[in-house]
Amino acid sequence: MISKLTASVRKEYLLLVRDKMGLSILFLMPMVLIFVMTLIQDSAFKTLNEKGIPVVFVNNDKDSLGLLIEKGLRHNDLCSYNDSINGKPATEETAKQAVAEGKFLIGIIIPEGATAAVRKNVNRLIRQTINIDTQSIKYDSSGSDSAEIDILIDPVAKKSLVTAITSSLREFISETKTKIMFETFSRQIAEIIPDKSREPKNAFAQSQIIKYKEIYASKTAKMIVPNAVQHNVPAWTIFAMFFIAIPITGSIMKEKSEGSVFRLLTMPSSYLILTSGKLIVYVGVCLVQFLLMISVGLYFLPMLGLPTLVLGNSFWGIGILTLATALAATGYGILVGTLASTEQQGAIMGSLSILLLSALGGIWVPTYVMPESMRAVSAFSPLNWSLDGYYKLFLRNSEAAAILPDAMKLFVFFITTMAISTFANHIKRKV
Amino acid sequence: MNTGSIVEIKHLTKKFKNSPEDVLKDISFTVERNEIYGLLGPNGAGKTTTLSILCGLFPPSSGSVLIDGKNIQKDLPYIRKIVGIVPQDIALYSSLTAKENLDFYGHMYGLKGKDLKYKIAYWLEKLDLTDAANRLVSNFSGGMKRRINLIAGILHQPKILFLDEPTVGVDVQSRNAIITHLKELNKAGTTIIYTSHLMEEAENFCTYVSIIDHGKILTGDSPAALISSFKGSANLEDVFLGLTNRKPRD
Repeated sequence: MISKLTASVRKEYLLLVRDKMGLSILFLMPMVLIFVMTLIQDSAFKTLNEKGIPVVFVNNDKDSLGLLIEKGLRHNDLCSYNDSINGKPATEETAKQAVAEGKFLIGIIIPEGATAAVRKNVNRLIRQTINIDTQSIKYDSSGSDSAEIDILIDPVAKKSLVTAITSSLREFISETKTKIMFETFSRQIAEIIPDKSREPKNAFAQSQIIKYKEIYASKTAKMIVPNAVQHNVPAWTIFAMFFIAIPITGSIMKEKSEGSVFRLLTMPSSYLILTSGKLIVYVGVCLVQFLLMISVGLYFLPMLGLPTLVLGNSFWGIGILTLATALAATGYGILVGTLASTEQQGAIMGSLSILLLSALGGIWVPTYVMPESMRAVSAFSPLNWSLDGYYKLFLRNSEAAAILPDAMKLFVFFITTMAISTFANHIKRKV
Repeated sequence: MNTGSIVEIKHLTKKFKNSPEDVLKDISFTVERNEIYGLLGPNGAGKTTTLSILCGLFPPSSGSVLIDGKNIQKDLPYIRKIVGIVPQDIALYSSLTAKENLDFYGHMYGLKGKDLKYKIAYWLEKLDLTDAANRLVSNFSGGMKRRINLIAGILHQPKILFLDEPTVGVDVQSRNAIITHLKELNKAGTTIIYTSHLMEEAENFCTYVSIIDHGKILTGDSPAALISSFKGSANLEDVFLGLTNRKPRD
């Protein structure tokens, strides 16, 4: 039994290492995919995170409100601040045109007299509230007492992104307005109450009784930021592992076309022994693929200025999940190879199904950007189970126990594919 | 039940799922121990189907098959150990060397260690392939492939050897080498069941010949007896054409 298994493994190994094209598909293709997809997606991430959203700012106010908002935008990582277009100071008209042309995602126009309007509004409120003599507070009844800030939006920008950005902007502008109101209010009160020593210092800062602290729900104090590397390395590694279905199918089909299967099926060796040879070799290939792809994330991507892959702390978890993924991928390959009648059929069936399962599984685009209905479907993709597991380990820094349900699903998938393959093989021989 | 026959086939029929009629129609025959049994017939006669059933590749639709006294449907694991198969198509891995192919198939037949190494070396030497042992099969000529194909089926010294057109498409030298060594193997105790289109080869090689057509055994006897029993026949080919008619088959 052991010598038959060893011979079967040796045969599969030799066939694999002599198939240069198959090897390049197994190792080079996913490495190239990781490089390309990570660079592409990292660029998109940088637009959002590092360079920020391109914003054009037109400050017609030139007073506290406009200056504070300008200062805030300049120091905000979310935005890439611009107050000029093609080297000329931005105006309301040129800003509108530039946003319409997609040069900027957002445009903010602070109208002339906005600060004055806020101050006037505060004065009016104080007068109404305290009901004092108009002589004691300077009040200019001319002009508006409200400021209308225009936020221009690129019409092709994604609605969810625009909502997120404009909400942040509104919050920031509102905070700035409140700050001015507090300051105005403090000054006006100080004018009413002659005792200057009781004038509140930093009234706005003191009014901030509710503060927010953003904490990532990771089990480590060190925050692991989801980025293109953290998504693409595990995602394309899983894809590569499942893409093993193509060479496995090729190997099974070649045995059929070369006639070896005729001899194999008439020999005193079980289907299990013959299949186990493939299983052991291709699971080994999957593990090598994993190590290679991870090393790309750890060592090669940082050389290109990309973030380094963070693996988390559970190496047991990584081991269990990777083995389960490798078994599931190999089992799937054996199933496709068994069901297919010709090499072409196997190649088409294998590649299309893997592409579909990977798209559904969140390999191409993360599942959280999918519509809810598709997210429900993605839960049936084994690639999604694996990716979820790696997210838990790499991003949430979970322990091995957290990925056991995902590993178990992958293992059950493997057992199911092997059972169907054995059954299909049995049925096919009952001609 | 162990009788003088090593193969006993009774009322064997086979109908494939998508075929309109039976491929084998109630055929019965026996093969004696140490015989070289020729199963001859035109294309589509049922030769390969019969051999495939005898190899346990697929089950018969009805009838019984006993090999070495064992029922093929009940004792298949035993039968697989005592039979060797040389299929019509070259059943080898083209990207493995001759030695690697033989090593793998030898292991699958339960051979291992020094015994396997010795047998591989012995047969490679016998069939004049020692120098090519470490070359990839993909680089072999048709005759060399046929010889390796034969060795892969006889390495484990089977009691019964099934040969499905073992010399088709090979040069005279390779054919001569194959036939010579098959005869040696037979002398050493291996029963051979053989199919071929080559009537002259069958006439010289077989000790008993059955002619099969349209799924039925038409006749069977020693080549000499068959030739003499059919008037005007000078050789086995005349007998064959007389029984199966001269019209070309698809």
